[in-house]
Amino acid sequence: MRSEVLLRAEEVVKSFPVRSSGLRRTHDVVQAVAGVSLEVRRGETLGLVGETGCGKSTLARCLARLYDLTSGTVTFEDRDISTLSGREMRPLRQDIQVIFQDPYGSLNPRRRVGSIIGDPFVIHGIGSAADRKRTVQELMERVGLNPEHYNRFPAEFSGGQRQRIGVARALALRPKLVICDEPVSALDVSIQAQIINLLVDLQDDFGLTYLFISHDLSVIRHVSDRIAVMHLGKIAELAPAAQLFDHTRHPYTRSLLSALPHADPDVADSRERIVLVGDLPTPTNPPSGCRFHTRCPKAREDCAVTDPRLVPVLGDGPVHLTACLHPLAVGEDLSLARPRVSDTEIDTRPRRAEEAESA
Amino acid sequence: MALLEVRDLEVAFNTADGVVQAVRGLSFDVERGSTLAIVGESGSGKSVATQTIAGLTRGARVSGTARFDGIDLIGADPEVLRRVRGAQIGMIFQDPLSSLHPYYTVGWQIVEMIRAHRKVTKAVAQQRAAELLSIVGIPRAEQRIHDYPHQFSGGMRQRVMIAMAMALDPALLIADEPTTALDVTVQAQVLDVMRSLQERFGTAIILITHDLGVVAEMADEVVVMYAGAVMERAPRRTLFYRNHHPYTEGLLASLPSQGGTGQRLTPIPGSPPSLISLPAGCPFAPRCRYAFDRCWSVAPPLDMVHDDPAHRSACWLADDAQGRRDNQARNAAEAAAAGSSDRTPTPAGVGP
Repeated sequence: MRSEVLLRAEEVVKSFPVRSSGLRRTHDVVQAVAGVSLEVRRGETLGLVGETGCGKSTLARCLARLYDLTSGTVTFEDRDISTLSGREMRPLRQDIQVIFQDPYGSLNPRRRVGSIIGDPFVIHGIGSAADRKRTVQELMERVGLNPEHYNRFPAEFSGGQRQRIGVARALALRPKLVICDEPVSALDVSIQAQIINLLVDLQDDFGLTYLFISHDLSVIRHVSDRIAVMHLGKIAELAPAAQLFDHTRHPYTRSLLSALPHADPDVADSRERIVLVGDLPTPTNPPSGCRFHTRCPKAREDCAVTDPRLVPVLGDGPVHLTACLHPLAVGEDLSLARPRVSDTEIDTRPRRAEEAESA
Repeated sequence: MALLEVRDLEVAFNTADGVVQAVRGLSFDVERGSTLAIVGESGSGKSVATQTIAGLTRGARVSGTARFDGIDLIGADPEVLRRVRGAQIGMIFQDPLSSLHPYYTVGWQIVEMIRAHRKVTKAVAQQRAAELLSIVGIPRAEQRIHDYPHQFSGGMRQRVMIAMAMALDPALLIADEPTTALDVTVQAQVLDVMRSLQERFGTAIILITHDLGVVAEMADEVVVMYAGAVMERAPRRTLFYRNHHPYTEGLLASLPSQGGTGQRLTPIPGSPPSLISLPAGCPFAPRCRYAFDRCWSVAPPLDMVHDDPAHRSACWLADDAQGRRDNQARNAAEAAAAGSSDRTPTPAGVGP
């Protein structure tokens, strides 16, 4: 794989105003994305994973310039696009496309499928009407839709087929970068696999680059070359897929992995489980220092003070970055760790009734 | 005698488009203190079935029996149902925010629930409410009973729902996709709470889910539903390691494997049938790569596999791998010969 950088984000920050409670009409801000730097390389799939509210979708929308950035820069093919106006962005929209999660909400129910998929051509003034119909039908066939259904409405299609429509629309102009924002989360497993295979095939055929966002680690692992784990607006860990799973450095990544249910009874019965206590802190009032320290089994006093930078740790190469002051060594058992900082809640009760009896 | 014995449950709805046969001949038992998982995709009838058992489907045409502790709940007097529901059968749903009343504090709602079934004073009920919240792991329960639902996070709300469902120490808890709306770390917490309550109080659980990972973690026995009917029923390990039905096999095969990156997934082609015009024969036949003549004409009964009474599968296939491979090869050849075979249900479905 070529490692040429297609898109680069540097210290991207996106904050939204929220009205504070009380009578004063002051505005607080919530930093949904709090300084993210990453690269998307041509031809790769970069997976972005994190829990609800961690800012992964906001980051994606910033990178596609669907949002204006609060600060930071985004460069696409070495061109700074962070401050381009809507009009200036328009030609670039051909190169950056988005596939959305909700195959029901993202298609206009009153328009026919052919015209939904054909829209990009009309907007960018490409081809004659006859050309367009032919191209759209070719696209429909390529994504596994029956081209004869050109004149049907979205409601006549199932969830999986609607997502195929969304894929066809995103690919119409042969974009260079496709941002897939939870493209399979609303689908049943058997259909999910169809769409994942389709996306992988299209990537090979068209040489696409994906930024693939999901909360589902098993999906992310399946499709990604590299994975970025996001926590409360920041990247906690970024590494090639296999390395992230086999040499997990960040306690947050490890907890996510351990919480993932395995569809295999033997694994489910035997694996180490770290159950985080407490809820995800809100980005309106993020914890001091490392934003994970209030839930981290390994938290130390300095974690509450120092915000760790995303750098290689414990002798990792430049491809594996971790934002943690006390990263996990290979083979370290996080379930045995206990925090040494006062404001971390952690469950120290025995895990099962039988353990309680034997204790 | 099992705690809950469901036999030949049928549920149908009249709609403008025709009769929707949501549940077709469902039978299962739930033993005391055990967990039965019902898995299936959207529209498989898994939620409708349990809601019917709890008397929550209005305007449906229902037949069959559901004996709970000896009382048939289907067609039972509303007064009888009211006494059983809540007190002996607790329920939790996917979306805790819409299951809690936004105008009342969670403590008030739990107290109301207790006092609807038991003659106790408000103070006693309130104390019980606080105790329940702390059992499900809500910190500072004494204070939090005075909070409103919106003041809790998603995971905490689901704990409140569990506390409420467990308030009267029910013998059975019906949990309908209890963790689907939650993040994995919070899901792990909620599943933990359910497990520890089961150990402590011996509650039986019906867990409805589409997530085979949750099934592997939680279930004792598993029922796999498709198009309103049971495809396979087996103890957990049997289902994952020695399953018989091609649909079960297909579901497991379509999961992004925990092992490798970049391998192709094996989806089930096509999409589920409409419950209004079900095909004759096996409902899964149009998507099944092993289907043969008989599958298209006669629906298979839920028969024992390997003479194991605990393991049943609704499939005509013999349990031999060679026979399956032969069928698969023949079907693939026929499909190739016919171009897009008319047996292929949706042109969109089949991958390249």
